[in-house]
Amino acid sequence: MARIVLGIFLVLLSLMPAMAEKQPYLLHVLILCFLYAIPAVGLNLMLGYAGLVSLGHMAFAGVGAYTAAVLMVDGHWDFWLALLAGVLAAGVAGAAIGAICLRFRTHFFMIVTLAFGLMLYSVMNNWDEVTRGAAGFPGIPRPAPLGGFSFGPLPNFYYLALAAALAAFAVQWIVVRSDFGRVLAALRQDERLAQAKGVNTMLYKAAVFALGSAIAGLGGVLHVSFLRVAAPATFNLAESINAVLIVIVGGAGSLAGPALGALVFVGLPEYLRAAAEWRLVVFGVILVLIVLFAPQGLAGFVKRARA
Amino acid sequence: MLSAVLEQTLNGLMAGSVYVLVALGMVLIYGVMHVLNFAHGVLLMVGAYVCHFFFVRLTGSYPLSILLSAAVLALLGIALERAVFRPLQGNLRNQVIASLGLILVFENLVIALWGPNALQMKVAATAALVPLGEMRFSVQHLLVIAVTLAVVLVLFSFLKFSKFGTAIRATSQDRMAAMVVGIPVERVDWITFGLGTALAALGGALIGPLFIVFPQMGDAPMVKGLAGILLGGMGSVPGAVIGGFIIGIAESVSTVFLPTDYRDSVAFIVMVLILLVWPRGIFGVSVRGED
Amino acid sequence: MSAAVLEVSDLGASYGGRRILESVSLRVGASEIVTVIGHNGAGKSTLLKSVFNLIPWRSGAIRLQGRDILGLAPDRILAAGIAYVPQSRSVFPKLTVDENLRMGGYLLSDKALLAARIEKVRQLFPVLAERAHQLAGTLSGGEQRMLEIARALLMDPKLVMLDEPSIGLAPRMVEAVFQTVGMLRNQGKAVLMVEQNVRKALAASDRAYVMELGEIRLEDAAPALIGDPRVARLYMGRR
Ligand SMILES: Nc1ncnc2c1ncn2[C@@H]1O[C@H](COP(=O)(O)OP(=O)(O)O)[C@@H](O)[C@H]1O
Ligand SMILES: [Mg+2]
Repeated sequence: MARIVLGIFLVLLSLMPAMAEKQPYLLHVLILCFLYAIPAVGLNLMLGYAGLVSLGHMAFAGVGAYTAAVLMVDGHWDFWLALLAGVLAAGVAGAAIGAICLRFRTHFFMIVTLAFGLMLYSVMNNWDEVTRGAAGFPGIPRPAPLGGFSFGPLPNFYYLALAAALAAFAVQWIVVRSDFGRVLAALRQDERLAQAKGVNTMLYKAAVFALGSAIAGLGGVLHVSFLRVAAPATFNLAESINAVLIVIVGGAGSLAGPALGALVFVGLPEYLRAAAEWRLVVFGVILVLIVLFAPQGLAGFVKRARA
Repeated sequence: MLSAVLEQTLNGLMAGSVYVLVALGMVLIYGVMHVLNFAHGVLLMVGAYVCHFFFVRLTGSYPLSILLSAAVLALLGIALERAVFRPLQGNLRNQVIASLGLILVFENLVIALWGPNALQMKVAATAALVPLGEMRFSVQHLLVIAVTLAVVLVLFSFLKFSKFGTAIRATSQDRMAAMVVGIPVERVDWITFGLGTALAALGGALIGPLFIVFPQMGDAPMVKGLAGILLGGMGSVPGAVIGGFIIGIAESVSTVFLPTDYRDSVAFIVMVLILLVWPRGIFGVSVRGED
Repeated sequence: MSAAVLEVSDLGASYGGRRILESVSLRVGASEIVTVIGHNGAGKSTLLKSVFNLIPWRSGAIRLQGRDILGLAPDRILAAGIAYVPQSRSVFPKLTVDENLRMGGYLLSDKALLAARIEKVRQLFPVLAERAHQLAGTLSGGEQRMLEIARALLMDPKLVMLDEPSIGLAPRMVEAVFQTVGMLRNQGKAVLMVEQNVRKALAASDRAYVMELGEIRLEDAAPALIGDPRVARLYMGRR
C-alpha cells in the first residue's frame, strides 16, 4: 500500500512540469520544497535517528554553497565538480566541527553547534574578499547542459532538484536500513549500553554529523545555483531553526518526515492568503503544539491514520 | 589609543549590562527548571516593543513604561512556563525545540503587529550628554549601567537573604531535596520564570532608546548572554553577571584593534574556547551530569 | 499496642505502568522504631516515596494518626507530621548549614518558632552549631546525614522516615546514625527506617518487616527477627 502511494506520488512529481506548464509558480514552489527538504534529510539523520539536535545545521549548507560558488565563479570549475567539492567540503567541515561538538552533551552540544553556526555565518557575512560579504555572492551559474539537456529553464532545473532530493531520500533510506543506522538507533535509545557493547559511539556520531552536513551541502549548492546568488542570510541562525522546525513538524526519525515538513513549511504557505509573518506565527504555534502533543510529527499522524 | 580603549570599555559596560540582564534571567531559569530558553532574546525584544507601546501610545512616562513592560513580560513568562515548559519538564530536547518555536512565534507576531521596520523611542536621557574626561556619554548610556548594577544588587540580596530567594537557590541545587523540605517547587518555577522574563524586558526597555527597536534586536543579546553564562560557569548566578560584563567589554574593546565586522565573533569564539578549554567557567560550577 | 502513628493498608504503587508495590500493609506505633529490610530493588525506597506522595500512581490507604493522607501533596504531608530523608544525599550543598536548617522550616511562617526549633536542633546536634556558616557540601558524609536528619526535625514531625541512613558511611558514623535514631525516639518521634545494614538496624529497632519483590513477607519484633534463621541466611550472610 505504502509503495503504491509512493509510486503514484513519484509519477505525479515527475510529470509535474508537463502538467503545470502554464503554472511556473507551482514549479518554483516545488523546487523550493526540494531545496528545503534536502538539508532537512541531513538533519533528520542527525536529530531524528541519532538524537543530535544541531542548531547550526544550515551553516554547513552554506559551507557547501560558498565552496561551490567560489570554485565556479573564481576558479571557473565545472558545476558538477564544484557540486561534488561543495558536498565534500560540507562533509569535512561537519566531521571536524562535529568531532568538537560531540565532546559535549545535551544543552552544551546545542550551544556549541549554535556557536559554530554563528561563526560560520559570520565568516560568510564578513570575509568580503572571498564570500563577497553581506551583499551576497552574485553570478552563480546554473549547471552546464548535460548531453544537450540545459538546466536553465525552470522545468529542467525542476528535474535536477527532484533528482537531488530523491538521491538524498535514497541515502537516508539506505542509511537507516544499514547496520550503521541500526547502531545509531541503539545509540539514541541507550548510549551507555551501546558503549558497553563495545561500540565506538563517538565515531558513529561524528560520521552521522559529517553525513548530515554533506547532505546539507548538497542542498546549499543547489539552492544558490537556483537563486543564482549566495546570500549569508540563506544560512543564518533563523534558517537553522527552520530546518529543525521542518524535521520536527514532518516527524523526526521518520523517512518521509523531511518531505512532509518541507511541503508544509514551503508549499502550504505559498497558497495561504496570509501575510508572511502570520504564517510563521502559525508555524511557530504548530511547532510548539506538535512538541507538546504529537512528538511524532505529521508522519505520526499519517501512520496513525493508516493503522 | 588609551582613550579609545577607555571609551570602548564604557561602551562595553553598557552593552554588557544588557547581556547581564539576559544572562541572569536565563541562568535563573536554567538553574531552577533545567530549561535552556533560546527564546529569551525574543522576550527581550517583546519587552522593548511593549515598553515602546506604553511610552509612546499610553503613558508618556519612560520609567512607568519600563515597569509596565516588565510586569507584562513577567505575566507572559509565567504563561509560557505553565503552558509550554512545565508540561515538557524532564524532556530537555523538546523544551529547546519548543523554545525555537517560540522564537518564530514572537518575532513574527511583532512583525505582524508593528511591521518589520525599526521604531524610535526618544527619551530625554538619550539627548542629554555628560562629559567624562574628554568623552561625552548620554545619560541613558550611564543609566543602563546604573540600573543594571542596582538590579543585580537587589537580586543578589533577594537570593541571599530572603526566604523565598534562598528557596530558589535551594531548588536549583537539588529539586528533590527542595520537595522533601516542603518548598513548593512549582511555585518556585513559575516565579523564577516570570522574574527571568521581566529581567529580559528590562534589558529591552533600557536599550530601546539608545538604539532602535526592531524585531531581531534580541538575537545578539541572547547569544551573548549565553556566552556570558558559559564564561561565568553554567548555572552560576554571579558568574552570569561577570561573564556578561566581560563579553560586553571584550567585544567593544576588540573594535579598537579589529575591524568592527568581527565584533560579534568575539562572543562566539569565547563560547567555543570556554567550552573546549575551560568548561566549568570562572566560577567552576559543576552542572548536573552534563560535562 | 499503642495507637498507630502511621498505618499503611493495601498499598500498591507503579512506575509508568510497572507495578512495584503489591498490597503492602504496615503500621508504626507512637515512639516506635520500625525497620523495613529487603534486598536491593525490593521496593523499600518506593514504599517511603509512596507515603510521601512522590510516586505517580498509588492505591490503597495511608493514614497518619487516623487521618487519610493518601491524596495530600508532599508539603501538606510534611505539615501534617511526616518528615522524609531520602536515600540519596539531600543537603543543599551550596547553602550554609544554617540556611539548610532554615529551609527545613520553610513551611513555618512564625519566625520566632523557627528560631526556637533551630536552637533546639543545634543542641541535639552540636556539630551543626559549630559548622553553622559552613557550606553544607563541605561537610563530611556523616555530618551531611546528621544535617539531613536534623533538618527533618524542623517541622516537629510525629514520624520520621529514613531511607538507608547508614549507607556509604564510615563505621564510626554508622554507630552515630543509629544512636541518633534512638535519640529521635527519646524526642517522642516514631521512626520508619529502611536499611541494608540489617544487623545494626534490627538491633536499634522495635519491630521490623521483611520485604521481597514489592510485598511484605515477614513481620515481627526486631529481636525475634535477629534470631530468625531465614533472615540470618538471606540478609545477614553478606555482611
Ligand atoms: N524512577 C523509577 N522509574 C522506574 N522504575 C523505578 C524507579 N525507581 C525505582 N524503580 C524500580 O522499582 C523497583 C524498586 O526500587 P526501590 O524501591 O528503589 O528498591 P529498594 O529501595 O528496595 O532497593 C526496582 O525494580 C527499580 O528498578
Ligand atoms: Mg532504596
